[in-house]
Amino acid sequence: MSVIRAGLQRITNIIRNGSGGILSRFITNSALIENKTVPQTPKEVISACNKLIEENASRNFAIVHLLGKQWRVTDGDLLVVEGYWPPNIGDKITLDKVLLAATKDFSLIGRPLVQPGLVTVTATVISKGLSHTRTHFKKKRRKQYMRINFQRAEQTMLRINSVNIASKINEPSKNVF
Amino acid sequence: MSNSNLFLKSGFIRAPLQNGVGRFVPQLQRIVLKFCKSNGSSRGLRDFIEQDLVDFAKQNPSVVVYLKPRRHRGPVIVAEYLNGDRVWMGMHNKTHSEITKWIEVLRTQQGDIASLRLRKYQYTDYPSVQGPWTPFTFKDPELNTAKLPDPKYGANNRLPMTATEKLRLMFEKQKLNDVNTAE
Repeated sequence: MSVIRAGLQRITNIIRNGSGGILSRFITNSALIENKTVPQTPKEVISACNKLIEENASRNFAIVHLLGKQWRVTDGDLLVVEGYWPPNIGDKITLDKVLLAATKDFSLIGRPLVQPGLVTVTATVISKGLSHTRTHFKKKRRKQYMRINFQRAEQTMLRINSVNIASKINEPSKNVF
Repeated sequence: MSNSNLFLKSGFIRAPLQNGVGRFVPQLQRIVLKFCKSNGSSRGLRDFIEQDLVDFAKQNPSVVVYLKPRRHRGPVIVAEYLNGDRVWMGMHNKTHSEITKWIEVLRTQQGDIASLRLRKYQYTDYPSVQGPWTPFTFKDPELNTAKLPDPKYGANNRLPMTATEKLRLMFEKQKLNDVNTAE
Protein backbone atom coordinates (compact mmCIF):
# COMPACT_ATOMS: atom_id res chain seq x y z
CA MET A 1 0.00 0.00 0.00
CA SER A 2 2.71 2.45 1.05
CA VAL A 3 4.60 1.83 -2.17
CA ILE A 4 1.53 2.54 -4.27
CA ARG A 5 0.85 5.66 -2.27
CA ALA A 6 4.47 6.79 -2.66
CA GLY A 7 4.22 6.17 -6.42
CA LEU A 8 1.08 8.27 -6.63
CA GLN A 9 2.71 10.99 -4.58
CA ARG A 10 5.62 11.05 -6.97
CA ILE A 11 3.33 11.28 -9.99
CA THR A 12 1.28 14.10 -8.51
CA ASN A 13 4.47 15.90 -7.55
CA ILE A 14 5.65 15.77 -11.15
CA ILE A 15 2.28 16.98 -12.38
CA ARG A 16 2.13 19.82 -9.88
CA ASN A 17 5.58 21.40 -10.34
CA GLY A 18 5.75 21.22 -14.09
CA SER A 19 9.01 23.09 -14.60
CA GLY A 20 11.24 21.25 -12.16
CA GLY A 21 9.61 17.93 -12.91
CA ILE A 22 12.63 15.95 -14.03
CA LEU A 23 14.81 17.22 -11.22
CA SER A 24 12.21 16.55 -8.57
CA ARG A 25 11.70 13.08 -9.91
CA PHE A 26 15.44 12.48 -9.74
CA ILE A 27 15.51 13.63 -6.14
CA THR A 28 12.59 11.50 -5.09
CA ASN A 29 14.03 8.48 -6.85
CA SER A 30 17.39 8.72 -5.15
CA ALA A 31 16.00 9.59 -1.75
CA LEU A 32 16.66 6.74 0.60
CA ILE A 33 14.42 7.87 3.43
CA GLU A 34 10.71 8.19 2.82
CA ASN A 35 9.94 11.87 2.25
CA LYS A 36 7.27 12.83 4.70
CA THR A 37 5.38 15.51 2.77
CA VAL A 38 1.79 16.52 3.22
CA PRO A 39 -0.57 13.53 3.05
CA GLN A 40 -2.65 13.34 -0.10
CA THR A 41 -6.36 13.96 -0.02
CA PRO A 42 -8.52 11.26 -1.61
CA LYS A 43 -9.70 13.74 -4.22
CA GLU A 44 -6.19 14.36 -5.48
CA VAL A 45 -5.46 10.63 -5.62
CA ILE A 46 -8.62 9.98 -7.62
CA SER A 47 -7.94 12.78 -10.09
CA ALA A 48 -4.39 11.50 -10.56
CA CYS A 49 -5.75 8.00 -11.25
CA ASN A 50 -8.31 9.36 -13.70
CA LYS A 51 -5.55 11.23 -15.51
CA LEU A 52 -3.46 8.05 -15.72
CA ILE A 53 -6.44 6.21 -17.18
CA GLU A 54 -7.00 8.92 -19.80
CA GLU A 55 -3.34 8.88 -20.83
CA ASN A 56 -3.52 5.08 -21.08
CA ALA A 57 0.00 5.08 -19.70
CA SER A 58 0.51 1.39 -19.02
CA ARG A 59 -0.95 -2.06 -19.49
CA ASN A 60 -4.08 -2.93 -17.55
CA PHE A 61 -4.78 -6.21 -15.88
CA ALA A 62 -7.79 -7.56 -14.06
CA ILE A 63 -8.71 -10.46 -11.88
CA VAL A 64 -11.91 -12.04 -13.13
CA HIS A 65 -14.06 -14.76 -11.67
CA LEU A 66 -14.84 -17.44 -14.24
CA LEU A 67 -16.37 -20.87 -13.58
CA GLY A 68 -15.42 -20.88 -9.90
CA LYS A 69 -11.85 -19.83 -10.52
CA GLN A 70 -10.06 -16.54 -10.41
CA TRP A 71 -7.88 -15.62 -13.34
CA ARG A 72 -5.41 -12.76 -13.71
CA VAL A 73 -5.88 -11.53 -17.27
CA THR A 74 -4.33 -8.90 -19.54
CA ASP A 75 -4.73 -8.23 -23.26
CA GLY A 76 -3.82 -11.20 -25.43
CA ASP A 77 -3.91 -13.87 -22.72
CA LEU A 78 -5.02 -17.43 -23.37
CA LEU A 79 -7.14 -19.29 -20.82
CA VAL A 80 -8.42 -22.85 -20.73
CA VAL A 81 -11.50 -23.41 -18.61
CA GLU A 82 -12.69 -26.91 -17.85
CA GLY A 83 -16.20 -28.18 -17.44
CA TYR A 84 -19.56 -27.63 -19.09
CA TRP A 85 -19.83 -24.07 -20.41
CA PRO A 86 -22.36 -23.06 -23.09
CA PRO A 87 -20.43 -20.43 -25.15
CA ASN A 88 -19.40 -21.78 -28.55
CA ILE A 89 -16.45 -21.04 -30.84
CA GLY A 90 -16.36 -17.57 -32.33
CA ASP A 91 -18.50 -16.06 -29.56
CA LYS A 92 -17.38 -12.72 -28.20
CA ILE A 93 -18.18 -12.39 -24.53
CA THR A 94 -17.52 -9.92 -21.75
CA LEU A 95 -16.36 -11.19 -18.40
CA ASP A 96 -18.38 -9.19 -15.89
CA LYS A 97 -17.27 -10.53 -12.54
CA VAL A 98 -14.21 -8.33 -12.12
CA LEU A 99 -12.71 -8.65 -8.65
CA LEU A 100 -9.80 -6.29 -9.21
CA ALA A 101 -8.57 -4.06 -11.99
CA ALA A 102 -5.20 -2.38 -12.04
CA THR A 103 -2.56 -0.61 -14.07
CA LYS A 104 1.12 -0.26 -13.25
CA ASP A 105 0.52 2.58 -10.80
CA PHE A 106 -2.77 1.93 -9.07
CA SER A 107 -5.27 -0.82 -8.31
CA LEU A 108 -9.04 -0.75 -8.05
CA ILE A 109 -10.07 -3.37 -5.54
CA GLY A 110 -13.67 -4.58 -5.59
CA ARG A 111 -15.64 -5.35 -2.46
CA PRO A 112 -16.18 -8.04 -3.71
CA LEU A 113 -16.70 -6.80 -7.28
CA VAL A 114 -15.57 -3.61 -8.96
CA GLN A 115 -18.63 -1.51 -9.70
CA PRO A 116 -20.40 -2.66 -12.89
CA GLY A 117 -19.54 -0.63 -15.98
CA LEU A 118 -16.21 0.61 -14.68
CA VAL A 119 -14.10 -2.19 -16.13
CA THR A 120 -14.83 -4.16 -19.32
CA VAL A 121 -13.00 -7.40 -20.08
CA THR A 122 -13.80 -8.86 -23.50
CA ALA A 123 -12.85 -12.31 -24.72
CA THR A 124 -13.30 -14.60 -27.74
CA VAL A 125 -13.95 -18.33 -27.52
CA ILE A 126 -11.32 -19.96 -29.73
CA SER A 127 -11.70 -23.67 -29.29
CA LYS A 128 -13.91 -26.19 -27.55
CA GLY A 129 -12.94 -29.80 -27.22
CA LEU A 130 -12.22 -32.66 -24.88
CA SER A 131 -9.07 -33.09 -22.83
CA HIS A 132 -6.84 -36.15 -22.94
CA THR A 133 -8.14 -39.23 -21.16
CA ARG A 134 -7.43 -39.02 -17.45
CA THR A 135 -7.12 -42.27 -15.53
CA HIS A 136 -8.48 -42.44 -12.02
CA PHE A 137 -7.04 -45.53 -10.43
CA LYS A 138 -7.72 -46.54 -6.85
CA LYS A 139 -6.38 -49.61 -5.09
CA LYS A 140 -6.31 -50.76 -1.50
CA ARG A 141 -3.71 -53.33 -0.71
CA ARG A 142 -4.77 -56.73 0.66
CA LYS A 143 -8.44 -55.67 0.55
CA GLN A 144 -9.50 -56.98 -2.86
CA TYR A 145 -10.41 -53.43 -3.81
CA MET A 146 -9.57 -51.94 -7.16
CA ARG A 147 -11.40 -49.33 -9.24
CA ILE A 148 -10.46 -47.77 -12.50
CA ASN A 149 -12.23 -44.87 -14.16
CA PHE A 150 -11.51 -42.92 -17.30
CA GLN A 151 -12.76 -39.44 -17.94
CA ARG A 152 -12.33 -36.57 -20.35
CA ALA A 153 -13.22 -33.00 -19.42
CA GLU A 154 -14.63 -30.36 -21.73
CA GLN A 155 -12.01 -27.73 -22.39
CA THR A 156 -12.84 -24.26 -23.67
CA MET A 157 -10.04 -21.98 -24.78
CA LEU A 158 -10.47 -18.23 -24.46
CA ARG A 159 -8.51 -15.34 -25.90
CA ILE A 160 -8.69 -12.16 -23.84
CA ASN A 161 -9.13 -9.27 -26.30
CA SER A 162 -9.11 -6.25 -24.03
CA VAL A 163 -9.09 -5.08 -20.44
CA ASN A 164 -10.40 -1.52 -20.35
CA ILE A 165 -10.93 0.87 -17.48
CA ALA A 166 -13.42 3.62 -18.25
CA SER A 167 -12.16 7.00 -17.07
CA LYS A 168 -14.65 7.59 -14.29
CA ILE A 169 -13.43 6.47 -10.92
CA ASN A 170 -15.70 7.58 -8.07
CA GLU A 171 -18.67 8.30 -10.30
CA PRO A 172 -22.03 6.92 -9.18
CA SER A 173 -22.51 3.50 -10.73
CA LYS A 174 -25.11 2.95 -13.40
CA ASN A 175 -26.95 -0.31 -13.25
CA VAL A 176 -25.58 -2.03 -16.34
CA PHE A 177 -27.11 -5.45 -15.86
CA MET B 1 -4.77 -50.56 -16.50
CA SER B 2 -3.65 -47.95 -18.89
CA ASN B 3 -0.12 -47.26 -19.93
CA SER B 4 -1.05 -44.73 -22.59
CA ASN B 5 -0.39 -41.88 -20.18
CA LEU B 6 3.29 -42.83 -20.02
CA PHE B 7 3.81 -41.74 -23.60
CA LEU B 8 1.40 -38.83 -23.53
CA LYS B 9 3.05 -35.60 -24.64
CA SER B 10 2.76 -32.61 -22.36
CA GLY B 11 2.88 -28.97 -23.30
CA PHE B 12 1.58 -25.46 -22.89
CA ILE B 13 -1.50 -23.92 -24.39
CA ARG B 14 -1.18 -22.05 -27.65
CA ALA B 15 -3.39 -20.89 -30.44
CA PRO B 16 -2.28 -21.12 -34.07
CA LEU B 17 -1.58 -17.79 -35.79
CA GLN B 18 -2.70 -15.56 -32.90
CA ASN B 19 -6.22 -16.80 -33.44
CA GLY B 20 -8.83 -14.52 -31.90
CA VAL B 21 -6.61 -11.46 -31.52
CA GLY B 22 -7.95 -9.66 -34.59
CA ARG B 23 -10.65 -11.99 -35.83
CA PHE B 24 -11.56 -15.58 -35.19
CA VAL B 25 -10.71 -18.22 -37.80
CA PRO B 26 -12.42 -21.64 -37.61
CA GLN B 27 -9.69 -24.26 -37.37
CA LEU B 28 -11.34 -27.29 -38.99
CA GLN B 29 -10.35 -27.45 -42.65
CA ARG B 30 -11.44 -30.81 -43.97
CA ILE B 31 -13.57 -33.70 -42.78
CA VAL B 32 -13.73 -37.12 -44.49
CA LEU B 33 -16.57 -39.52 -43.71
CA LYS B 34 -15.70 -43.10 -44.68
CA PHE B 35 -18.46 -45.67 -44.56
CA CYS B 36 -19.89 -48.85 -46.06
CA LYS B 37 -23.18 -48.70 -47.94
CA SER B 38 -24.40 -52.12 -46.82
CA ASN B 39 -22.82 -53.04 -43.46
CA GLY B 40 -24.85 -52.44 -40.28
CA SER B 41 -21.95 -50.86 -38.37
CA SER B 42 -22.15 -47.84 -40.69
CA ARG B 43 -25.86 -47.39 -40.04
CA GLY B 44 -25.52 -44.33 -37.78
CA LEU B 45 -23.07 -42.62 -40.10
CA ARG B 46 -25.35 -43.29 -43.08
CA ASP B 47 -28.28 -41.78 -41.14
CA PHE B 48 -26.17 -38.72 -40.39
CA ILE B 49 -25.24 -38.34 -44.04
CA GLU B 50 -28.85 -38.65 -45.16
CA GLN B 51 -30.31 -36.23 -42.61
CA ASP B 52 -27.75 -33.73 -41.36
CA LEU B 53 -24.78 -33.58 -43.69
CA VAL B 54 -26.14 -30.96 -46.11
CA ASP B 55 -27.07 -28.63 -43.25
CA PHE B 56 -23.63 -29.17 -41.68
CA ALA B 57 -21.91 -28.23 -44.93
CA LYS B 58 -24.12 -25.17 -45.39
CA GLN B 59 -23.55 -23.91 -41.85
CA ASN B 60 -19.78 -24.37 -42.10
CA PRO B 61 -18.66 -22.92 -45.43
CA SER B 62 -15.02 -23.03 -44.33
CA VAL B 63 -15.06 -26.82 -44.00
CA VAL B 64 -14.49 -29.17 -46.95
CA VAL B 65 -16.58 -32.32 -46.58
CA TYR B 66 -15.66 -35.53 -48.39
CA LEU B 67 -17.66 -38.75 -48.50
CA LYS B 68 -15.84 -41.98 -49.17
CA PRO B 69 -18.00 -45.08 -49.54
CA ARG B 70 -15.99 -48.28 -49.39
CA ARG B 71 -17.15 -51.89 -49.35
CA HIS B 72 -16.94 -53.99 -46.16
CA ARG B 73 -14.86 -51.56 -44.09
CA GLY B 74 -15.69 -49.93 -40.77
CA PRO B 75 -17.05 -46.39 -40.56
CA VAL B 76 -14.42 -43.74 -39.84
CA ILE B 77 -14.26 -39.95 -39.59
CA VAL B 78 -11.03 -38.11 -40.26
CA ALA B 79 -10.71 -34.40 -39.49
CA GLU B 80 -7.86 -32.18 -40.60
CA TYR B 81 -6.99 -28.84 -39.05
CA LEU B 82 -5.21 -25.61 -39.97
CA ASN B 83 -2.23 -26.42 -37.78
CA GLY B 84 -1.67 -29.69 -39.64
CA ASP B 85 -3.22 -32.03 -37.09
CA ARG B 86 -5.19 -35.03 -38.28
CA VAL B 87 -7.72 -36.71 -36.00
CA TRP B 88 -8.89 -40.22 -36.83
CA MET B 89 -12.03 -41.48 -35.12
CA GLY B 90 -13.71 -44.87 -35.52
CA MET B 91 -17.52 -44.73 -35.67
CA HIS B 92 -18.25 -48.46 -35.43
CA ASN B 93 -21.86 -49.08 -34.34
CA LYS B 94 -22.29 -45.45 -33.19
CA THR B 95 -25.81 -44.08 -33.33
CA HIS B 96 -26.91 -41.01 -35.24
CA SER B 97 -26.98 -38.76 -32.16
CA GLU B 98 -23.58 -39.93 -30.94
CA ILE B 99 -22.11 -39.18 -34.33
CA THR B 100 -23.66 -35.68 -34.33
CA LYS B 101 -22.00 -34.98 -30.99
CA TRP B 102 -18.58 -36.29 -32.05
CA ILE B 103 -18.70 -34.27 -35.25
CA GLU B 104 -19.53 -31.18 -33.20
CA VAL B 105 -16.45 -31.85 -31.04
CA LEU B 106 -14.31 -32.27 -34.15
CA ARG B 107 -15.67 -29.04 -35.59
CA THR B 108 -15.10 -26.88 -32.51
CA GLN B 109 -11.69 -28.06 -31.36
CA GLN B 110 -8.60 -26.39 -32.77
CA GLY B 111 -6.46 -29.44 -33.42
CA ASP B 112 -5.60 -32.73 -31.80
CA ILE B 113 -5.91 -31.37 -28.24
CA ALA B 114 -6.64 -34.78 -26.75
CA SER B 115 -3.09 -35.95 -27.40
CA LEU B 116 -1.56 -33.25 -25.22
CA ARG B 117 -1.53 -32.96 -21.44
CA LEU B 118 -1.65 -29.30 -20.50
CA ARG B 119 0.96 -28.20 -17.94
CA LYS B 120 -0.58 -24.76 -17.45
CA TYR B 121 -4.13 -23.60 -18.06
CA GLN B 122 -3.17 -20.00 -18.80
CA TYR B 123 -0.66 -18.35 -21.09
CA THR B 124 0.42 -14.73 -20.81
CA ASP B 125 3.14 -12.64 -22.43
CA TYR B 126 3.12 -10.28 -19.44
CA PRO B 127 3.54 -12.27 -16.25
CA SER B 128 3.78 -9.16 -14.09
CA VAL B 129 2.47 -5.63 -14.65
CA GLN B 130 3.18 -3.98 -11.31
CA GLY B 131 6.52 -5.76 -10.89
CA PRO B 132 7.21 -9.08 -9.24
CA TRP B 133 7.18 -9.20 -5.45
CA THR B 134 10.51 -9.11 -3.64
CA PRO B 135 11.22 -9.29 0.10
CA PHE B 136 11.75 -5.51 0.05
CA THR B 137 8.54 -4.60 -1.81
CA PHE B 138 6.41 -3.24 1.03
CA LYS B 139 9.20 -2.44 3.46
CA ASP B 140 9.89 0.95 5.01
CA PRO B 141 12.68 2.73 3.07
CA GLU B 142 14.00 4.05 6.37
CA LEU B 143 15.66 0.66 6.80
CA ASN B 144 18.07 1.53 3.99
CA THR B 145 19.93 4.11 6.05
CA ALA B 146 19.42 2.63 9.50
CA LYS B 147 22.52 1.66 11.43
CA LEU B 148 22.17 -1.83 12.79
CA PRO B 149 21.99 -3.10 15.47
CA ASP B 150 19.30 -0.66 16.47
CA PRO B 151 16.94 -1.32 19.40
CA LYS B 152 14.15 0.27 17.32
CA TYR B 153 14.32 -2.51 14.70
CA GLY B 154 15.78 -5.21 16.91
CA ALA B 155 13.05 -5.07 19.56
CA ASN B 156 11.17 -8.28 20.08
CA ASN B 157 7.58 -7.25 19.53
CA ARG B 158 6.22 -10.76 19.29
CA LEU B 159 6.14 -11.53 23.03
CA PRO B 160 2.71 -12.15 24.51
CA MET B 161 1.31 -9.65 27.02
CA THR B 162 2.69 -10.20 30.51
CA ALA B 163 0.51 -10.50 33.60
CA THR B 164 1.85 -7.18 34.95
CA GLU B 165 0.83 -5.38 31.78
CA LYS B 166 -2.60 -6.96 31.90
CA LEU B 167 -3.10 -5.87 35.50
CA ARG B 168 -1.95 -2.39 34.63
CA LEU B 169 -4.44 -2.17 31.77
CA MET B 170 -7.23 -3.34 34.00
CA PHE B 171 -6.24 -0.73 36.57
CA GLU B 172 -6.27 2.04 33.97
CA LYS B 173 -9.68 0.94 32.71
CA GLN B 174 -11.04 0.95 36.25
CA LYS B 175 -9.72 4.47 36.77
CA LEU B 176 -11.44 5.66 33.56
CA ASN B 177 -14.70 4.05 34.68
CA ASP B 178 -14.45 5.76 38.04
CA VAL B 179 -13.97 9.11 36.36
CA ASN B 180 -16.99 8.48 34.12
CA THR B 181 -19.25 7.49 36.97
CA ALA B 182 -18.10 10.51 39.02
CA GLU B 183 -19.16 12.78 36.16
